[in-house]
Amino acid sequence: MSQKIIAVIPAYNESTRVVQVIEDAKQYVQQVIVVNDGSTDDTAAVASSAGATVVSHVENCGAGAATMTGIEAARALGADVIITLDADGQHDPHDIPAVLEPALQNKADIVFADRFGQRNHIPMIRRVFNAIGNLVTFAATGRWVNDSQCGFKVFGPKAVREIDIRMSKFEFCTEIVRECVQRNWRVAQIPTKVLYSEYTMAKGQSFALGVRTALRILLRSFLR
Amino acid sequence: MNVTAYQIIVPVASFLAIAYAWNLVVRQKKTVWEAILWSIFWGAIVYIAVDPSSIDHLTRITGIKDRENAVLVTFLGILFFIVFYLVIRLEELEQRQTRLIRKVALKQVDLEKEKRE
Repeated sequence: MSQKIIAVIPAYNESTRVVQVIEDAKQYVQQVIVVNDGSTDDTAAVASSAGATVVSHVENCGAGAATMTGIEAARALGADVIITLDADGQHDPHDIPAVLEPALQNKADIVFADRFGQRNHIPMIRRVFNAIGNLVTFAATGRWVNDSQCGFKVFGPKAVREIDIRMSKFEFCTEIVRECVQRNWRVAQIPTKVLYSEYTMAKGQSFALGVRTALRILLRSFLR
Repeated sequence: MNVTAYQIIVPVASFLAIAYAWNLVVRQKKTVWEAILWSIFWGAIVYIAVDPSSIDHLTRITGIKDRENAVLVTFLGILFFIVFYLVIRLEELEQRQTRLIRKVALKQVDLEKEKRE
């Protein structure tokens, strides 16, 4: 039985990049959902004209909130498998089949892309941020994931049914790892390419935001 | 050794907090990891309550040598707790707002949860 695969792309002011990401994703999935997270540019219009189903937040809520909205929409459209992608085009679309495979073959309930699993040109500051993110995630969940902060993930049928992201901002990546532990999902990690540019670097998290995110994760996981 | 009321109340309260944490694990609301962290925290509180001299080296490091300093630190702890409580409340409000925005967004494209059920 073929499974319905839907791509979810949370996007905030990505009108210059999102079309290419939609075009790339469409080659591998049945439907693409773009969650326009309160963009002030014409992200929604260009995504819609590129053939994506657009769900729009009236206010900017954050990457976690947008991802969960996309997952809710995908569930409503009958998705068996959901793939999430960043809208800035940092992921190589050719990696999509490899990341999908463990979920489609029922070998994993969630698949994490691993940008550090192969030779990639990643700026040092990004490596440091991601290492801190991985450590904080491990401290909060007890589970080590090589690239816990990557937006490129695949949710298999069990994860699609069960996932419930409550954190709105970037800390949702850690919450997803917590969900894995809590719900006993089988995990796979697939090395992928990453294409960093000045644009993607500028869109990334600042150091202050990273520290704030880390503190929120630790405090929340402790007092939850 | 003279056992004070404090040395009875604190371990009992800590035991209840630890039991509550593990109860949440059984009800699948907390992970085992979080319950372990919680148990270590309350275990340390019990240890300090039962053997107050164990924090002598801590007083040397922090400089809490007399009653005035201890009162100051206690109130800082209370203030920290109040601030954290407010942060949690704010996050709950933020989550409620996000749920509302999500509901409106899904309604606009006719993908509401209620409709599907």
